[in-house]
Amino acid sequence: MTKKIQHPPLAMSRRALLMASGAGLAASVLPFGPLSAQPAGTLAMCVTPEPNAMCSAFNTASPVTVVSGKMLEGLLNYDFDVSPIPALATAWEVAEDGLSITFTLRDGVTWHDGEPFTSADVQYTIMEILKVHHPRGRSTLASVTAVETPDPLTAIFRLSQPAPALMYALAGWESPMLPKHVYEGTDVLQNPANNAPVGTGPFVFQTWERGSHIVMAANPNYWGEGEPKLERLVIRIITDPSARAAALDAGELHLAGDGPIPVNQVQRFIDSPDFQVETRGTEMNNSLDMIHTNMRNEHLAKLEVRQALMYAMNRDLMLDVVYYGLAEILDSPIPETLPNFHTSDVPQYDYDPDRANALLDEAGYERDADGMRFGLRLIAPTVGDTYERMGQFLKQNFRDIGIDLELISADIPTFIRSVFGEYDYDLTLYPGSVTADPTIGSQRFWWSEAASPGTPFVNSTGYASEEMDAVLEAAAVEPDPEARRELFVRFQQIAMTDLPILPVARPIYVTIAAANVENFVPGPDGIRAPYGSLAFTG
Amino acid sequence: MDRVKSFVTAVFRDWMLLVGLILLATVFFMAASAPFLFPQPPDTMMGPPLQWPGQYPGAPLGTDGLGRNILAGLFYGAQVSLLVGFASVTVAMVFGILVGAYAGYYGGWIDNLLMRITELFQTIPQFMLAIVVVAVLGPSIQVIIFSLAVVSWPAIARLVRGEFMVLREKAYVQGCIVAGMSDRRIIFTQILPNAMSGVTVMSTIMIATAILMESALSFLGFGDPNVTTWGTMIGMGKNNLRDAWYIMTIPGIALLLTALALNLVGDGLNDYLNPRLRSQRGH
Repeated sequence: MTKKIQHPPLAMSRRALLMASGAGLAASVLPFGPLSAQPAGTLAMCVTPEPNAMCSAFNTASPVTVVSGKMLEGLLNYDFDVSPIPALATAWEVAEDGLSITFTLRDGVTWHDGEPFTSADVQYTIMEILKVHHPRGRSTLASVTAVETPDPLTAIFRLSQPAPALMYALAGWESPMLPKHVYEGTDVLQNPANNAPVGTGPFVFQTWERGSHIVMAANPNYWGEGEPKLERLVIRIITDPSARAAALDAGELHLAGDGPIPVNQVQRFIDSPDFQVETRGTEMNNSLDMIHTNMRNEHLAKLEVRQALMYAMNRDLMLDVVYYGLAEILDSPIPETLPNFHTSDVPQYDYDPDRANALLDEAGYERDADGMRFGLRLIAPTVGDTYERMGQFLKQNFRDIGIDLELISADIPTFIRSVFGEYDYDLTLYPGSVTADPTIGSQRFWWSEAASPGTPFVNSTGYASEEMDAVLEAAAVEPDPEARRELFVRFQQIAMTDLPILPVARPIYVTIAAANVENFVPGPDGIRAPYGSLAFTG
Repeated sequence: MDRVKSFVTAVFRDWMLLVGLILLATVFFMAASAPFLFPQPPDTMMGPPLQWPGQYPGAPLGTDGLGRNILAGLFYGAQVSLLVGFASVTVAMVFGILVGAYAGYYGGWIDNLLMRITELFQTIPQFMLAIVVVAVLGPSIQVIIFSLAVVSWPAIARLVRGEFMVLREKAYVQGCIVAGMSDRRIIFTQILPNAMSGVTVMSTIMIATAILMESALSFLGFGDPNVTTWGTMIGMGKNNLRDAWYIMTIPGIALLLTALALNLVGDGLNDYLNPRLRSQRGH
């Protein structure tokens, strides 16, 4: 980089050269103070890994949702307690019987190409795109039978049965509204707008330099008052966590989220006056570390063995040495970050190796000469060193109760094939997102009908309980919030009694920003927010 | 006895060989004594994490990020390094010698065929090939030994072939043929012993390379997660480089010294086994 600037090729100006690289681009435009309401400054943030598309309507991979959410908006946004707040819809009303939802749309919103945004776009996006092509939309929108458009600013969702989870799935990064005039009559999956979105969001797509960076510019016609505040947003792709920490140090990155750096370096950023570290902003995502057992295994089929594994885990120590304090112990499969659903009124399994040993003795497992009773394999995907450390940690804990844990690390395709395709595993550990609503995020791990060989990140345990299925199915269509909460309390109690899955911890994924950045975690979706208010402070 | 005596004399005349052998003996001692000095497995979390060397009495060289004794890891890691180094090179030698001997002795189409196969392996970068083998078969210590053998044998085959092509023209070999000795007997009892000096020297260097490659594989996450090796210790310590550099540095030094020892021994053996070379060098 530096070398290049010292010897610029004749045909290229220095400015053009700086523009050619994300690093130069981020460093060359320094933030200005907010002297006027004009958008000012170029902010560099990073995503990882590189997104493979720009539009999250067809691909909900985590980095795609981050990028897409800046350009494409949804009907709703959410505040920190995960209640809906206005976005493209300014008001909404769920009918008494739960069978229709009426959205009043924001007046005067235009697409990036100047066309007006109307209810026809909502109807087209929901019925023709999200219901058909969105990976999660097929289930979250399953009960939407029609979208009626009595006038350009009113959209009425007609439902075949109440769908309370639907109201949690309408954020821009999850269910983006797409322009009907761009998509209609084309092969939507191949539409060029999927890689160069035309949206209503605060930022307009400019360029995508694959392997390096994505550039977006302020939308001058954005509906938000005085927004966006930035002139330009650059999204850089840096794959190595240590390299991201170094880029933050060097000032080449102003913002990084989703737990971007090695956990043992986080404290250094917390202590530094040059940075801000925010732990909120994952309330919509709620990625949980849970051990999914394979109940087809003769040992794991026994409840005593699964209980013993729960008692054997020293999770207080684990928080310190594996997570460096950046996690919370999970006492049920729904985290405390979802207060509307979480309960601690479930069987608890505090660290108690004696009890674990007693359970295994009772189950008839004798220790052999080496002190071992039997062996189990733990397979984890190679995604960051937290899972490597966790494996080593669990190996210790389980050795104390006479279970010889064999660690297997696998690349993601091998992991998915072994765990979700061939069910060839004993225990597995991976981050599973339970989102903001248990019907959307949790049900798939516990519902017997969610199991489908080859589909990743669903029920792989072989668990099938009629009571569990009935509770989950009832909760999915229960319109009354109180009654629905009761059903999910029951869900958590059954889950912690039957233990097909052993909840371990909720890792806290930090967002790190330079000291002069504000509004970088404006809501529960963290760096997935549209970022209209993201700005440099004076 | 005379041979032993002359070797001992050579060792004491060549201080580099002496240093190499002492270092190597130390590594062997560490590997052999590990279970007696550290009865608990090396991955036991025995104390508070991130203790610097000298800070915590139970672990003179400190503890890593999970509170594991680095000294114990060093001793047990020596076992794995030696096992991987010697086992993979032994496998590679058996295979390489067979291929090289037959190709060099018979020549013609056999030579052509065997050497084309050898070249196929030689054109792929060694480390890449090792990664591919481990990625396909899954990381376990057996697979790592196999993958290192797969990338190591072509060099031995080439060397042995060259020696055989020269030696088969010698008068004593012609004499054996005239005396009606079988090909197999000529290859293994007459030519091979005379071709072994070069192979022996090469194998010590290859053991060092294999140990380094195993560490590199472990560092990149392709190691056997159930076995403590110097490479995994370095790999697990890389995120602590800023605040606890000793976690990476200590096994790194062990690795350096072991590779150095094997190279010194290789050089020394070369001088000893090729006396003409020694006199040329002015020893």
